Amino acid sequence: MNNSDENKKRVSLTELRAGESGTVVAIIPSHGRGRGCGHARRIMEMGITPGTRITVIGSAPFHGPIEVLVRGSRIVVGRGIAERIIVEVYRSNGKDD
Amino acid sequence: MAKTIKVALAGNANVGKSVIFNYLTGLHQHIGNWPGKTVEKAEGTLHFRGYTIDIIDLPGIYSLSAYSIEEQITRNYIVMEKPDVVINVIDASTLERNLYFTLQLIELGRPMIIALNQVDQAAKKGIHIDIKKLEEILGVPVIPTIAIKGVGIYQLMEKVIEIARKGINTQNNYVKLGREIEERIERLVKLIEGLGLRYPARYAAIKLLEGDEEVENEVNKLNPALIMVARQLAKEIESIEGRPCGEAIIAERYEKACNIAREVESITSPARTKLIEKLDELTIHKLWGYPIMISLLLIMFYTIFTVGGYISDLLNALFYNGQTLFNSISRAGPIGELFWSAAEGIIAGITVVFPYLVPLYIVLYLLEDSGYISRVAFLMDSLMHRMGLHGKAFIPLLLGYGCNVPACIGCRILETQRERTIATFIVTLVPCAARTIIILSLVGKFLGIEYALAIYIFNLAIIFLLGRIAFKALPGEPTALIMEMHEYRMPHVKTVLKQTWFRIFEFIKIAFPLIVLGSVAIKMIELFGLTGPIVAALSPITVSWLGLPMMTGITLIFGILRKELMVILLSTIFGTSNFLDIQGFGPINMIVFTVVAMFYIPCISTIAALIKEIGWKKAFLITIFEIFFAILLGGIVYRFLRIILG
Repeated sequence: MNNSDENKKRVSLTELRAGESGTVVAIIPSHGRGRGCGHARRIMEMGITPGTRITVIGSAPFHGPIEVLVRGSRIVVGRGIAERIIVEVYRSNGKDD
Repeated sequence: MAKTIKVALAGNANVGKSVIFNYLTGLHQHIGNWPGKTVEKAEGTLHFRGYTIDIIDLPGIYSLSAYSIEEQITRNYIVMEKPDVVINVIDASTLERNLYFTLQLIELGRPMIIALNQVDQAAKKGIHIDIKKLEEILGVPVIPTIAIKGVGIYQLMEKVIEIARKGINTQNNYVKLGREIEERIERLVKLIEGLGLRYPARYAAIKLLEGDEEVENEVNKLNPALIMVARQLAKEIESIEGRPCGEAIIAERYEKACNIAREVESITSPARTKLIEKLDELTIHKLWGYPIMISLLLIMFYTIFTVGGYISDLLNALFYNGQTLFNSISRAGPIGELFWSAAEGIIAGITVVFPYLVPLYIVLYLLEDSGYISRVAFLMDSLMHRMGLHGKAFIPLLLGYGCNVPACIGCRILETQRERTIATFIVTLVPCAARTIIILSLVGKFLGIEYALAIYIFNLAIIFLLGRIAFKALPGEPTALIMEMHEYRMPHVKTVLKQTWFRIFEFIKIAFPLIVLGSVAIKMIELFGLTGPIVAALSPITVSWLGLPMMTGITLIFGILRKELMVILLSTIFGTSNFLDIQGFGPINMIVFTVVAMFYIPCISTIAALIKEIGWKKAFLITIFEIFFAILLGGIVYRFLRIILG
């Protein structure tokens, strides 16, 4: 409670609310299957590269995909992929939960 | 001076490539598949100012890595076939992401023109682009176009001829990346030049740094040591940039694309229409999105199958009146009968293809062009994921309940070859209208509607199960949704109609010979009195394993042609329409028969559609698999039901 200033937080894209923006900091490569880095690459090739500003437009119910605005275009990413996109957001502690 | 110019259209998905393609080629098109691939290949010809211009519409992609088959096709085509001019179609309203692809395309070193499309839409969004400046920076001519209105297309073709004549080389016009990366690219380029590689040196250098397998293999044949050098350089970049080299290059390129976009764009306040915005919000709304989607898809389903059914009945009546006429002329006889069966095959083909496929294609393209399919994918992704597919597959799956033929064809809306293969397999398992007739008129009528419902649920469970297995078993990238959600727009009706026409034409070419052959073959069996021996030969399966009366073997054979005929045939064979009277055809046997009929083989038209969409080999494998699977399943169900029902 003593830290009421705005502070940076690193969260996965799935934790952003509709309308909230952040900066992509990392894309965690998927592990276990195949060559691994495939999805991370595709995500980046759609313009979601570290350092990019990203805004969540909305998400589909039932744990569905997330729609984001990035580099002026609207992109939909599946939930599994969105979980691996790490975003830095500014949130004041009060509003956080 | 060559009078033929080879032109390739390349660009992201949904930028208006097909509209330009259809505008240019008109009725001179040929639609097929890329050899051995399930990716559509659209070629066409245009005669312009005394030149014959061969145009190819390459698949819509976002990058030139060899990540998807579509990307491989595009880059291999440009490298191997060396088109005289590559027209890069880009969407003016999402310039930055489109430029990311353009920058890579330039590296392939073919003469290029940019068609800056949908400038009117961009202007509505408040985006204005300085064409001169864009040309200067990229070193590539830029023609602003509004493809759906035909604006700029003439200028585009004039430019094509000018460039093809001059043979302008864009090889040295590439946009440089960051210093550290650029330095290493140049070092590699020096080593690659003179190797005799078919790729342009700079392109190859970058691909080596990214660790691209295809290019590595090529280089490995010529100078394996180079790969080691490239890997060393890639490591250097990795330690400088603090991230994998491939990632660094993507980020750099996007950085460049972003800078270029910022330099050439001037943004004013958007004049986006409120109505479209509202429509967009509503159709993907958490609550309203679903009822809207369900009603829209039901309307579509209803339209296709009632319009189709009506025309189909009409055609059927027309043709079967012809039969009496035909018979009186040919005075029956075996030859006449054989001819009639061939004619019947064609009739079956016509009554399926035209009535259902025409409205299907039109509706499908309208949904796709308008942007609604992306919304369906968005809403349904979560559910479809459970069977290893993503949201877009919901549409072909739904179509499958009407008829498997359009459903197979509908699978083309999926992006990757792997997804299309899984989806086409899945949709052939969906009980179509013909199979619904079997389910309802046997199990539904004699055992009660709750049993029929149980069969549907059982079918759905099997579909989920097999979908998951296929998804796990087929090699390739795991299904994951990454797609662009483009803005709603009015579909271009002329393009939709042309697309429909050429694809139906393509289907006829594949399906009709097969259908005729199948019909004649089955008629021959009948004429030569082979039905008895074949049924007897099948008896180990039908009688011993499935516990069915021997004569049901006939219906299984004829069901290959048209499944809805199976029930009618059953009553002719046994001389009764109260099927429970048939000896050895009790409730259990009825269920087994229905289950087998539901899964055992896609009908011949569906097989033709499979061949068209995924090729001979896979179509054959799916057919064989389904026969074995249905028999296996039928036997298991038989034994299981005997135990629990006694």
